[in-house]
Amino acid sequence: MRAATATSASAPVSLFRRWDIWAWVGLILLAALYPLSDPTTARLLVATQIFVLITLASNWNLIGGMTGYVDFGHLTFFGIGAYTVGILMTRSKEIVFAPQLSFWQAWVFSGLAAMVFALLLGAATLRLRGPYFSIAMLATLLAMREIVRLLTPITGGGGGLDLPPELNRIEEYYLSLGLMTLSVGLMWWIRNTEFGLSLLAIREDEVGAEMRGINTTLHKTTAFALSAFLTGLVGGFWAWQNTYIDPDVVFFEPRNLEMIIAVVLGGLGTVWGPPLGAVVLYGLREFFWNRFLFAHLLGLGLMLIFVVLFLPGGLIGLMQKGRAIPLHELLRPRPAVSQEEEA
Amino acid sequence: MPFLQALLNGILVGGFYGFMVLGFSIIWGVMGIINLAHGEYVMMGAYFAWAMFRAFGIDPFVSALLVFPIMFVVGYVLQWLIINRVVERPHLISLLLNFGISISIANIYKLIYKADYRSVTVAYAGSFQLAGFTFPTVKTIIFFAALLIMVGLHLFLHRTRVGKSIRAAAQNKEAARIVGIDVHRVYAITAGICIGLTAVAGAMIAPIQPIFPFMGPIFTVRAFAITALGGLGRIPGALLGGLLLGIVETLLTIYVPGAGAKVGTAVSFIILVLVLITRPQGLLKGLRPVEGGA
Repeated sequence: MRAATATSASAPVSLFRRWDIWAWVGLILLAALYPLSDPTTARLLVATQIFVLITLASNWNLIGGMTGYVDFGHLTFFGIGAYTVGILMTRSKEIVFAPQLSFWQAWVFSGLAAMVFALLLGAATLRLRGPYFSIAMLATLLAMREIVRLLTPITGGGGGLDLPPELNRIEEYYLSLGLMTLSVGLMWWIRNTEFGLSLLAIREDEVGAEMRGINTTLHKTTAFALSAFLTGLVGGFWAWQNTYIDPDVVFFEPRNLEMIIAVVLGGLGTVWGPPLGAVVLYGLREFFWNRFLFAHLLGLGLMLIFVVLFLPGGLIGLMQKGRAIPLHELLRPRPAVSQEEEA
Repeated sequence: MPFLQALLNGILVGGFYGFMVLGFSIIWGVMGIINLAHGEYVMMGAYFAWAMFRAFGIDPFVSALLVFPIMFVVGYVLQWLIINRVVERPHLISLLLNFGISISIANIYKLIYKADYRSVTVAYAGSFQLAGFTFPTVKTIIFFAALLIMVGLHLFLHRTRVGKSIRAAAQNKEAARIVGIDVHRVYAITAGICIGLTAVAGAMIAPIQPIFPFMGPIFTVRAFAITALGGLGRIPGALLGGLLLGIVETLLTIYVPGAGAKVGTAVSFIILVLVLITRPQGLLKGLRPVEGGA
């Protein structure tokens, strides 16, 4: 995994030599033309869901995959975005005495609210090394769900909020497509800048990165805030699309897991891994797990264990390596070569 | 007097927390692994006690003794087969792996036992009066059992050969290897003991805690907050951190209206963030900077 990231990141940005971004642009254009073929509403909805999953995965990758700060509570920002839109569209009269906002006005605030929260939280937890951050985020998600449930006058509590329905599947399709293009494009751009290299340096050796003069706290906080901003926008969009939010559907645990697993499955810290992982994961869910819905979370948990153990470079790593790991290596109880012996 | 009574309740709960956290803290201190599935092992112990009580009428404190060898084997095998593979990799990997394990365990239990709340009601569930204070019987027994086990664990780590090799592996892995300690085997034994003790803690609180498959994360977060307060792998530190958390939780439940039983997560979370901001090295300087194996 490490060797792969080092080689692909070291090449300088040259728009004409990089085929991957052009392939991506081509795919986006194709996707943009898709509604012209007059597809059914159900198909548009499926495409929208895939775009949302790709966007979430790509955003999680920005903090979890690039800096190695595993965020177990990234759904918090999704929730903040969703509730910002929900509250501003339905309750702003009672709470801030402002006129009711339209979706587009409220949407701007959903990203900003998530980003502000990320900055506050990041100031506390990102100065430390990874594991503290991970558990703090897990606790944040648990606490947030309870807080939303308790603040009934503002959030509607367990009863939830009904948003004004403006069901327009084509508009939703393009909006989610735009969000996905933005997130993945940003990821690609970051991966090819010094900022991205610094983030990877933090993941590989934080103390070393600090000694080389990288302001690690600033880099981590920037990545975290950007990621939270985009995730907040997705949450706001999702609330509008779903027209109903309550703590259970917003802080839906499989969604939290799926964005993490999509990244690990595709390849941590790569640009194209998370989209690939998200598509594969969505396919698995539709064709396989929907028949075993009662065991959906169990399937996701086991899949995470399996991928971490046997496919640490993700699908992208598998493709770059060109071969699968042989079975006898999989069954060995210990790592074949430990780190010390290597050095 | 109500304040002193609340303080007493907090101390009783805190003693249990100090014991509950030990497995988490020792695994972290010895292997540098954050056991995110900690709460799930508490849950497994509690379910064991519930099942034994329901099927055979066995007392939860007897179940606590029975569950230790079973969960020792579970912990040993998990460590030997799975976690030893990632113990020398960066933290990113072991965190993700343990997250997967915790989700899987909770959902296996959900499939077997459904998401319903279970409870164990023992005959001696009441309380007794002593020196003007009310002592809840079960919590008092738990408190003293926890202290007893802590003393036992301390003796084990300091007086026995296996205990000494565990401490050696924690202090200097390379040197331990050189003097002939099989570090991976020591890790597996450590995981067995820690996960066994965690399940014992789970079985002991079965009479005073609703049991359901997703009760785990709160205990994991509590364990983390206590570790931040009391430091890593040190039994007195764990006890002190546990007492602190227990007292704060109990006082808040009593004096803040509407806080209720949900207060646990929020309190741990706030303590955690406060400690991390003001004293990143932990309250007792016990937290060392966590570095991955590589």
